[in-house]
Amino acid sequence: MKLLTKYNRVNLITTVIVMLITGFIYYQAISWILTNQKDKDLKVEEQEAFDYVNLNHHLPQTFDSNDQQITFSEAKPGSVKREFINTTYFKKWDKDDEHRRHHHRHPGNGKYEAGRGLISSVTVGDKYYKILIVESIVETEDLIRLIFTITIAVILFLLLVLYITNRLILSRLWQPFYTLMKELRLFSVADARGISKLETTIDEFKELNNAVVEMTAKARHDYKDLKTFTENASHELLTPIAVINSKLDTLIQTENFNDRQSKLLNDLYSAVSRLNRLNQSLLLLVKIENRLLHEQQQINLRELVEDMIIQFEEIFQDKDLKLTYTLDEKEIYASRYLAEILVSNLISNAIRHNHNGGEVIITLTEKQMIIQNTGDNLTLPDEIFTRFHKSSGSEGSGLGLTISRQICQNFGFSLDYRFQPPFHTFTINFNVT
Amino acid sequence: MKILIIEDEEGLRESIEEYFTEAGNICETASTYRNAMVKINLYRYDCILLDITLPGGNGIDILKNLKENNYADGVLIISAKNSLDDRLDGLNLGADDYLVKPFHLSELKARVSAIIRRKTFGGSNLLIFNEITIDLLAKEVKVDKTPVKLTRKEYALLLYFIANKGKVVSKNAIAEHLWGDGIDMANNFDFIYSHIKNIRKKLVEAGCNDYIQAAYGMGYKFTGQ
Repeated sequence: MKLLTKYNRVNLITTVIVMLITGFIYYQAISWILTNQKDKDLKVEEQEAFDYVNLNHHLPQTFDSNDQQITFSEAKPGSVKREFINTTYFKKWDKDDEHRRHHHRHPGNGKYEAGRGLISSVTVGDKYYKILIVESIVETEDLIRLIFTITIAVILFLLLVLYITNRLILSRLWQPFYTLMKELRLFSVADARGISKLETTIDEFKELNNAVVEMTAKARHDYKDLKTFTENASHELLTPIAVINSKLDTLIQTENFNDRQSKLLNDLYSAVSRLNRLNQSLLLLVKIENRLLHEQQQINLRELVEDMIIQFEEIFQDKDLKLTYTLDEKEIYASRYLAEILVSNLISNAIRHNHNGGEVIITLTEKQMIIQNTGDNLTLPDEIFTRFHKSSGSEGSGLGLTISRQICQNFGFSLDYRFQPPFHTFTINFNVT
Repeated sequence: MKILIIEDEEGLRESIEEYFTEAGNICETASTYRNAMVKINLYRYDCILLDITLPGGNGIDILKNLKENNYADGVLIISAKNSLDDRLDGLNLGADDYLVKPFHLSELKARVSAIIRRKTFGGSNLLIFNEITIDLLAKEVKVDKTPVKLTRKEYALLLYFIANKGKVVSKNAIAEHLWGDGIDMANNFDFIYSHIKNIRKKLVEAGCNDYIQAAYGMGYKFTGQ
């Protein structure tokens, strides 16, 4: 769930609840105040009635006025308890209201409305009377209804405004965060480009940005250190390898070796040359990753592949491989050195992992270069492109495909593997979209 | 011929010296920048083997010094750095060749021979070894007057052998010379044998002595005085 959605949800729910509670309290408070007001009116009326009785010693005439009715009825002495009640008020039609009579469902010459009443008692002479004063509270109820409606309207309006402003402000507010996310997603330790400083006035984002900038800088620095180490280590290895090589060359100049010694020397030679190739591959990999090979030129890929095929001619024959190739004209603008390594790596792979009497098919078109070879009848895992992944018994360095893929990346090509029985297929796509 | 080996790594320097020292060759060595500077300003050499990283200085400065003084010594840079920029720098400054460590001594010898050939024989493009005459420009081989048709690789192999005459050249070195780094995927070096068989056959059929000998299953030796 997005932060904005979550925030909105919590925010809106809280707002609605608070508003409802406020509305309820508001309603209660207003009702209480207004009822109080009515009760005061009723008391004044009661007092008037008392005053009248005290003065005149008989009951006042009942009258209707001001939405107020007063009635007197004889009752048993002491049976009436003074209290306020909610009751109904029978409103007689005014002359002005004559026309409304037809629409009203109540028959007769009036209608019932909500009312507030005061029950009291008075003694006139030896008679005990119950007094009932009723006032219409229809205006009060109307007022409350109006207040309630306005409250609900305000709630809805507030919710709408909150929703819209949250949407606008928050998405703008969080913009630095999304920018940073995008940068992080694109970040690669091997890239020269770091995470840029964010333009924001918000402290939290500033801190986040600082932390990210520091972290990525450190990651890049560590990665660079590691690469430098690899490069230095490989360089340092070159000299001892060169010494071993030259000593071996010198050793075989001395005369008279028996078969056993020759075999040992041959094994030494191949081990040293493997060590050397491995070392060179590591150095090359560092160089490609550092993009240290900049010189670029127009390369005719068809000619390059043809040269390579001639170069490998004897090796194809040696393994009794059947080579088929279809080469279209294709030019690329890239480093010649790397292009040669790429083609050579892929062809030698196709030879190395082939069985005697197998087949190699090379196809070059405007869009792609495909190298297919027979070999073990099983799909190779994706790890073939990772460093030092080797099939058992492989004499290679385990870096060939890593280097090939790196070169392709460097050139903006893609290198993919598929197994289409019986062919292991490596495809270079020149146009990566 | 007279050769100066400027190399600080003792093991390598000794091996090179031993490999190059033979009848008619004089080898001198220098292991530091200062030592090398003294020697190049005192004596002239047919070829100088120059290591770039030296104690006390940079080999490139030695090369610059040579060129400033217009000394015509051939220069072969031997460097641990396999970078195109270094190679181009070296060659632009007037080095004749650039060889990356590690290398086979036979490869070094072949390169040095090529440099010396270019320097010494001037306009002549003929390499003559007993009855074999090689036209280096036309890439044609004749035994006495009989032309021998060699393939590109056979021709390269013959030149390699002649440069390393009297030495055992390992199959490894031959393979790397002819096929470069791509060689490691071969099952074995049998195909080298078939190449050598072909050269021997072609040369002998043209009336040449059989100079190429197998050496203990490790390599081949081009003999002949």
